[in-house]
Amino acid sequence: MVTGQFVRKLGAAATAMLALMPAFASAQEIGKGHPEPGQFHLQQSVTPIMDSIVAFHDGPLMWTITLIVLFVLALLIVIVLRFNAKANPVPARFTHNTLIEVIWTVLPIVVLIIIAIPSFGVLSDQLTVPDGERKFLGANIFSFGEVEVPAASLTIKASGEQWYWNYEYVDDGVAFDSNILGAAVDGYVQTVKPNQPRLLAVDNELIVPVDTTVRMQVTASPSGVIHAFAVPSFGIKIDAVPGRLNETWFNSRETGIFYGQCSELCGKDHAFMPIAVRVVTAEEYQAFITAFKESRDYASAVAVLPAIQ
Amino acid sequence: MAAIEKNHDYHMVEPSPWPFVMSAAVLVMMVGAVFFMKQWTPWLFFIGLAAVIYSFYAWWADVVKEANDGVSHTPVVQMHHRYGMILFIASEVMFFVAWFWAYFDGFFRFDDVEQYARVAFTGGHWPPAGIELFDPFHLPLFNTLILLTSGTTVTWAHHALLENDRQGLRWGLALTVALGVLFSYVQFLEYTHAGFSFSGNLYGATFFMATGFHGFHVIIGTIFLAVCLIRAERGDFTPQRHLGFEFAAWYWHFVDVVWLFLFASIYVWGSWGVSLSH
Amino acid sequence: MSEAAHLEAHATGHDHAAHDHHTPTGWRRWVLSTNHKDIGIMYLVFSIVAGIVGGLLSGFMRMELQEPGIQIFHGLASMVYGISDPSGSIDAGKQMFNVFTTAHALIMVFFMVMPATMGGFANYFAPLMVGAPDTAFPRINNIAFWLLPVAFILLLMSLFFEGASGSTGFGGGWTVYPPLSTAGHPGPAMDFAILSLHVAGVSSILGAINLITTILNMRAPGMTIHKMPLFAWSVLVTGFLLLLALPVLAGAITMLLTDRNFGTTFFAPEGGGDPVLFQHLFWFFGHPEVYIMILPGFGIVSHIVSTFSRKPIFGYMAMAYAMVAIGFVGFVVWAHHMYTTGMSLDVQRYFVAATMVIAVPTGVKIFSWIATMWGGSITFRLPMLWAIGFIFLFTVGGVTGVVLANAGADRALHDTYYVVAHFHYVLSLGAVFSIFAGWYYWYPKMFGYMYNEFLGKLHFWTMFVGVNLIFFPQHFLGLAGMPRRYIDYPDAFTLWNRVSSVGYYVTFVAMIIFFYATWEASRKKRPAGDNPWGDGATTLEWTLSSPPPFHQFSTLPKIDSTNAH
Ligand code: HEA
Ligand code: HEA
Ligand code: CUA
Ligand SMILES: [Cu+2]
Repeated sequence: MVTGQFVRKLGAAATAMLALMPAFASAQEIGKGHPEPGQFHLQQSVTPIMDSIVAFHDGPLMWTITLIVLFVLALLIVIVLRFNAKANPVPARFTHNTLIEVIWTVLPIVVLIIIAIPSFGVLSDQLTVPDGERKFLGANIFSFGEVEVPAASLTIKASGEQWYWNYEYVDDGVAFDSNILGAAVDGYVQTVKPNQPRLLAVDNELIVPVDTTVRMQVTASPSGVIHAFAVPSFGIKIDAVPGRLNETWFNSRETGIFYGQCSELCGKDHAFMPIAVRVVTAEEYQAFITAFKESRDYASAVAVLPAIQ
Repeated sequence: MAAIEKNHDYHMVEPSPWPFVMSAAVLVMMVGAVFFMKQWTPWLFFIGLAAVIYSFYAWWADVVKEANDGVSHTPVVQMHHRYGMILFIASEVMFFVAWFWAYFDGFFRFDDVEQYARVAFTGGHWPPAGIELFDPFHLPLFNTLILLTSGTTVTWAHHALLENDRQGLRWGLALTVALGVLFSYVQFLEYTHAGFSFSGNLYGATFFMATGFHGFHVIIGTIFLAVCLIRAERGDFTPQRHLGFEFAAWYWHFVDVVWLFLFASIYVWGSWGVSLSH
Repeated sequence: MSEAAHLEAHATGHDHAAHDHHTPTGWRRWVLSTNHKDIGIMYLVFSIVAGIVGGLLSGFMRMELQEPGIQIFHGLASMVYGISDPSGSIDAGKQMFNVFTTAHALIMVFFMVMPATMGGFANYFAPLMVGAPDTAFPRINNIAFWLLPVAFILLLMSLFFEGASGSTGFGGGWTVYPPLSTAGHPGPAMDFAILSLHVAGVSSILGAINLITTILNMRAPGMTIHKMPLFAWSVLVTGFLLLLALPVLAGAITMLLTDRNFGTTFFAPEGGGDPVLFQHLFWFFGHPEVYIMILPGFGIVSHIVSTFSRKPIFGYMAMAYAMVAIGFVGFVVWAHHMYTTGMSLDVQRYFVAATMVIAVPTGVKIFSWIATMWGGSITFRLPMLWAIGFIFLFTVGGVTGVVLANAGADRALHDTYYVVAHFHYVLSLGAVFSIFAGWYYWYPKMFGYMYNEFLGKLHFWTMFVGVNLIFFPQHFLGLAGMPRRYIDYPDAFTLWNRVSSVGYYVTFVAMIIFFYATWEASRKKRPAGDNPWGDGATTLEWTLSSPPPFHQFSTLPKIDSTNAH
């Protein structure tokens, strides 16, 4: 049958694609802190939390769902080939088989439990602000925790506004606004900072030190709407809700600029309130924050940092 | 078209204009509701509402006619009606779940640390700062007793009906209706003495929404019972067949039970240990 | 079942005066209808109209997203509002995109899928399958239908009234989260949308009461609940989900309405309210809602698989109770949509575990369909292609649901296109495929004509390719971090968005083929016969003429113990 052949070809193609996906995913070389053209994988990780998300997703999750889909597909292909009316003119009449029914109930339960074990670990890490004692999973999600993370030593409060972010260095009592960079020309927002991606670049980046645990407190303007603070390569995403103070944390092991975008519909400029976190060395951070506290002027404080390439 | 022999007990309902008319009325009412809320004009809403009420009347008049024609409402059709009424009440219960959910969200989480705006508003206690509660053992208790009594009077009416005691039926129903009206009046009195308003605060919002929708259901139930009273006067019900009456009674019990929950959770539990001024 | 026995006793016990049953004609037949089949047809027509509108709206969205930058919405906005200043039209265009997305979703969910499954197919076929002459409450059936156009008109009106200041329509997403749906859209557009949902909700509740009663109380003599066809089971379970979930939505949006118009503060923090409370109430409805959209599809697919395999359903009892289990568990997993709202670790753990449980009964269904086909003598007629397509694509959508169920992974994927890909696989490739399966399976029964099988297959394959092209690449976008509800995106996301938009054009062609095939069938009038599918089709509707008489089963069919489902 024509249909049969088509199903077979399609099946083969799909099989090949799906089977290669986990492999592809790790093979693709990708930049850090922002998506790359054509990317089909999670963004590169620079924190222990994102390490565990990537390991969990590319490992147990991707493999099980790929295998399950392939398994179902394989069964369908066999059915198309073996049990079409030509190949099998007389249908069987069975309607029960207790053993197999028990198997296909119990086996998924087992699979789900195997998924749930690392899942709970990954989740617990995300929701526990480091105290310096607790060990975190990092990339080894089947361990009981082996990555040391220092206790939080810097607190930043981000507030979602319509439509920009306001960041406050809570311990230092200084704050600034961070707006998207670029002006729209014929509906196309053009970037004006060199080497910074369109729609992700902001005028004032949030500046934090490397290898430091940063506690993020996230809220939104009391008279405003909900936004969400998200930085993919840190593995964080938390809603900014008016009247509510949510908390998350990150600890970046690399310097550079890491971009995120508002992740809760907040009105017309939802797509135009990006997040940019610039991770600098401890010394640079000290210089910056000292200057900022002194001048209370972000622009002049940031001038003490080396220019962005 | 040829007449087809019908060999079953189901009621093959003739085409009816009322569902369509009522839908059109709902459209007018809903558009009118927006116009009303935006303070353009109240009239469209009231025209729609009148049309909806009229369609209800006309539709149910047909149903009552069928109930009385002796052939339409066979035992299996009556069973449909019972299922239908139970399912309707089940959906009503879920409607009230929403109000209770909102109330308990405030009640249990009045000092939730993450919710700084709420804590600032409540002052860290429940009821929120500045809210003066009703004394549950004053008017609310009185109203509880009214509703409980009305539950017994409607049962009295039911028993009277089963024994074909028309006088008892009449009195039982009339008393129930009277108690229903009294309840609504007392609730209205209570509202006029409220130490908080519907707007501007979570307590008033949840309180008035829950008790208000309950009160609305009391009014519906009272009308339902009043219609039964009229029908009883007309001689509609028999000891064997009186679904309309039974449903009014079910509905009334449902309204009663919701009140008990409201009374226990919002009035009594909600004011536990709170000093009340009168 | 005792009711059935009781019913039988009555059928023979009384001698009725012969009623005169006239078949109504002209507009009265439809507008005033108390006939479940006519009402079912009206629902299906309504669903197709809504599907066209919803599909066109998604076309504008895909055209916009085909390239980075704002392509068409500023032009559209300047046309609609007559704005000449370019930055003004861009601003209006941004809001308009959100309005389109919102309207697309609401229309697809409330006016396309639900009217097709629980309105059209359930109305037409649940009574036939249980051997009933009509539904229990024919007038309620009629108003349940007519309230839908009313709700649809209200929703369409909302598009033309002010929403957010300076633009029309509501653009806060189908989830209508406050404060964007309260303070964020002060104009009447949102009030129209809320009342539209109220009316659609009442319609569905009334429909559910009618169908549940019909199924519980009007089964033919001898048809116990455990002999009832699986489609009837699916409608029964879905009916209960509607009955219990929709009133909570009604409550939630009533609170929105009073927050907007009467100064209450259910969801306003300054008065002690909490925006997250709304999300709980919404998803307590919203999650059961997604099963409302898929369970009838499960029922339809079960019959098709069995019919074309010429083999009875494998594991009937497990199939029926798996749906019941999905329905139950579906009520206690709602907050998996809210992992990023700041819920505590324990609460998130609970919702992870509860959500993953649903994969088990769903797996039972997938494997039982496969086992039904296994050993069968299968003809790959058109409905079967849709059913097999459904099984495969629903599995793909289901397993990505399991990925999202893990809060730890959802942290990266929430509110990205991965979620959009997930739910379109279960909806646009799941629910919609089951609707087309049902359409082509029952078309000959409903209209008495046969469509052109080749055109139908062309429709299937074009659509199969099209929708996969639209939605598979969206997984990649989501993994790479592209947020949903965005009119414009960083240039890195261009490739997969382009592919996705091309997929839409392919799907568009598929829809043209669908309409042509339907038109062709109605022109050619090839008589279909009572049962075009052969001995695999065992349910009661195939014992009737095509189309069935205006009132069927004037003498109730008797189901004996050998009759299988
Ligand atoms: C028809 C509609 C439908 C269906 C059936 C489902 C089914 C499921 N959904 Fe989906 N979902 C939606 C519609 C649907 N969903 C919509 C519309 C949204 C977004 C709403 C919005 O935000 O706008 C959403 C969002 C959504 C989220 C939130 C994501 C986010 O916003 O971050 C989650 C998280 O848990 C989720 C999970 C699931 C799960 C676990 C299932 C399960 O029921 C799937 C079960 C099926 C299978 C697993 C496949 C078959 C099983 C086997 C072959 C057995 C073996 C399998 C295993 C052992 C894994 N869904
Ligand atoms: C059933 C639900 C359903 C269906 C079928 C679809 C179908 C499609 N959807 Fe939609 N979509 C949603 C539900 C649905 N969607 C929801 C809930 C959202 C979230 C909104 C939000 O964020 O608030 C969304 C959001 C959404 C987005 C994200 C927007 C954003 O985040 O900014 C996109 C983008 O590509 C999209 C595209 C499409 C496309 C191209 C189709 C195409 O498949 C369309 C092709 C058309 C059809 C397949 C319909 C054909 C059917 C008929 C003609 C009826 C037939 C009837 C009978 C035979 C009886 N949809
Ligand atoms: Cu801010 Cu979306
Ligand atoms: Cu869900």
